[in-house]
Amino acid sequence: MNVAVQKTKAERAIGEHFATVNGRLAEASWAKSLRSDAFAHFQAFGLPHRRIEQWKYTDLRERLKEAYPPPLRAFAAASQVDIERALGPLAAIKAYRLVFLDGSFSAALSDAEPLAQWAEFVTLAAVLRGEGAGVRERLAVRGFNAAGAVRALNLAFMSDGAVFTVRPEARVDRPVMLVFARVADTPTAITTRNIVRVGGGAALSLIEVHVALPGASPGGQENAATDLLLQRGANVRHVKCLPAGADGVHLSNTDAELGESASLRSLQMTLSGALVRNELAISFKGKGAKLDASGAMLAAGSQHLDTTLFVDHEAPAGVSRELYKSVLSGRARAVFQGKIIVHPGAQKTDGKQMAQGLMLSPEAEFDSKPELEIYADDVACGHGSTCAEIDPDLVFYCRSRGIPENEARALLVRSFIAEAVEKVEEEPVREALMTLAEGWLQQRTS
Amino acid sequence: MLEVKNLHVKLAEEDKLILNGLSLSVPKGEVHAMMGPNGSGKSTLAYVLAGRNGYEVTEGDILWEGESILGLEPDERAARGVFLAFQYPMEIPGVSGLVFLRTAMNALRKKRGEKELNTAEFMRLVRERAERLGIDVEMLKRPVNVGFSGGEKKRAEVLQMTLLEPSLCVLDETDSGLDIDAVRIVADGVNALRSKERAMLLITHYQRLLNYIVPDRVHVLAGGRIQKSGDKELAIELEKSGYAEFQSKAA
Repeated sequence: MNVAVQKTKAERAIGEHFATVNGRLAEASWAKSLRSDAFAHFQAFGLPHRRIEQWKYTDLRERLKEAYPPPLRAFAAASQVDIERALGPLAAIKAYRLVFLDGSFSAALSDAEPLAQWAEFVTLAAVLRGEGAGVRERLAVRGFNAAGAVRALNLAFMSDGAVFTVRPEARVDRPVMLVFARVADTPTAITTRNIVRVGGGAALSLIEVHVALPGASPGGQENAATDLLLQRGANVRHVKCLPAGADGVHLSNTDAELGESASLRSLQMTLSGALVRNELAISFKGKGAKLDASGAMLAAGSQHLDTTLFVDHEAPAGVSRELYKSVLSGRARAVFQGKIIVHPGAQKTDGKQMAQGLMLSPEAEFDSKPELEIYADDVACGHGSTCAEIDPDLVFYCRSRGIPENEARALLVRSFIAEAVEKVEEEPVREALMTLAEGWLQQRTS
Repeated sequence: MLEVKNLHVKLAEEDKLILNGLSLSVPKGEVHAMMGPNGSGKSTLAYVLAGRNGYEVTEGDILWEGESILGLEPDERAARGVFLAFQYPMEIPGVSGLVFLRTAMNALRKKRGEKELNTAEFMRLVRERAERLGIDVEMLKRPVNVGFSGGEKKRAEVLQMTLLEPSLCVLDETDSGLDIDAVRIVADGVNALRSKERAMLLITHYQRLLNYIVPDRVHVLAGGRIQKSGDKELAIELEKSGYAEFQSKAA
């Protein structure tokens, strides 16, 4: 059924931006037709709205009042000092950085060369111009529907991103940090896509950070997608972080495929953004793979942070653990939708999911929708969800030891969030993330 | 000296009095045992001394070192030297025992106008005191009380008490749920803290703990007030006769 719906202002603007950008790009013909196809899909469905199940709590048609133009890449310039400042405590992590300014790779600010020991690196922009043919199949319009507009828009507008393949058995000796920095002082819509393949038995720590540089417009839009493809026995730790400092719209998709015995540890940490949607789709493709996914959301004011997670157990003996924690003050709202699907034949699946909200204010809201769909008979799966205020008994316990009330409350919020952050194995990364959380807490609980 | 004077306490949202004219004096240097049947108001007394919310003092006063502490918040009482070892120590996931101890110790030192401890000083103190209580420092790297057995929790409480060096120790059913070896370890820890600078109030249902921590005075609490006081022989008597006599008296 096709009902003609009046296009919103944002949808009309997106159409205009697409026409402008598409004419400007010098890309391979397959890339041009890919963009056109993706855009046609978007046009067919428009922005998702509350009548579409997956978008019930985050009505993009309602919330996205404007659609900003893509940045003009030629104008983006920044210094290493700007980057360090925007990264804050994350700057202390010794990592190979790949820096993108307003959605375009900056070779000058990046450490791409040492990465060559372990991986083949190419920019997405280069792929779209015709290099690195191996990743083309990932860049395809697949199964779009009314819920898939953000993915379609990503394909239609993606400007750049990191595309790299870690060689089998390679162990990258430092984390790779992808820094997506907003530079322009006018609001723009930045669209990026990363494709990361990790060969059999290889190990990679990947940190993805989205920041606004000093002086950048704080209220832009971002559509960020990352594909993580883990081959047999690969071990990937992925952290995606939105530190404080931006209050725009951030829509993201993280798609992961786990080969046999592969292991993925994922943390989404979000401290900023007026409207954030982190969508994760993780598929168990080979048997015996492991997923440990967690989230730490810290929201204040009228922030709206949505985590939507799909875990598909397509192969047997997979183990999945999810722990998503939201701390909500002011009128902030967190949405958690988590669906574990155990497909026929995925026997011996062991899946557990937990979503927890800690309410620091009576006006905050936590919407949690955990779901299990099981089509195999020999599985152990469970999910749970809690929503609570700071436990007054625990506050009393701390205070009876001499800890003042503010400090006690901060300690307890910290402990709540630490349970998710502590899943990060590398100590410097974990410490930097906790420092970000402390900074947030100091502003909110004192 | 701890002076509890004609204390009347009810739950904030109920009318029934739990403590009904309780008076008690514990001088520094002494250990007093407060015994009584379930529901006699023992734990309420412990919580009111520590300043827990949810209770209302309708009459009477609590003086510590000559000053009323009723108007003080729990952390302010802690700064004055009040410590409550909980009957059910709380679990705090996500906060390591060491971080918790250091936060508490430094908060108290700050309030008392003392210098905060650096990491080396802190760790030395913790190692030394933990060892005496048979607590592995590795255990303190884990979240506070999470996954601890009953005995480990009680030992951890006594360790906190040892490190925070309070001058008024209130121990609420510290022996409950402990096997005999654990009772001995906990009792040794408490006995090591006995000093003429410190008053202690042991709240217990059973006489057993008092074999290891010999009290200077024993009080029987029933019906919200002290029904009888005596020396350590009173505890032994109670073990034989039970609380029936006092419960009928209180009713």
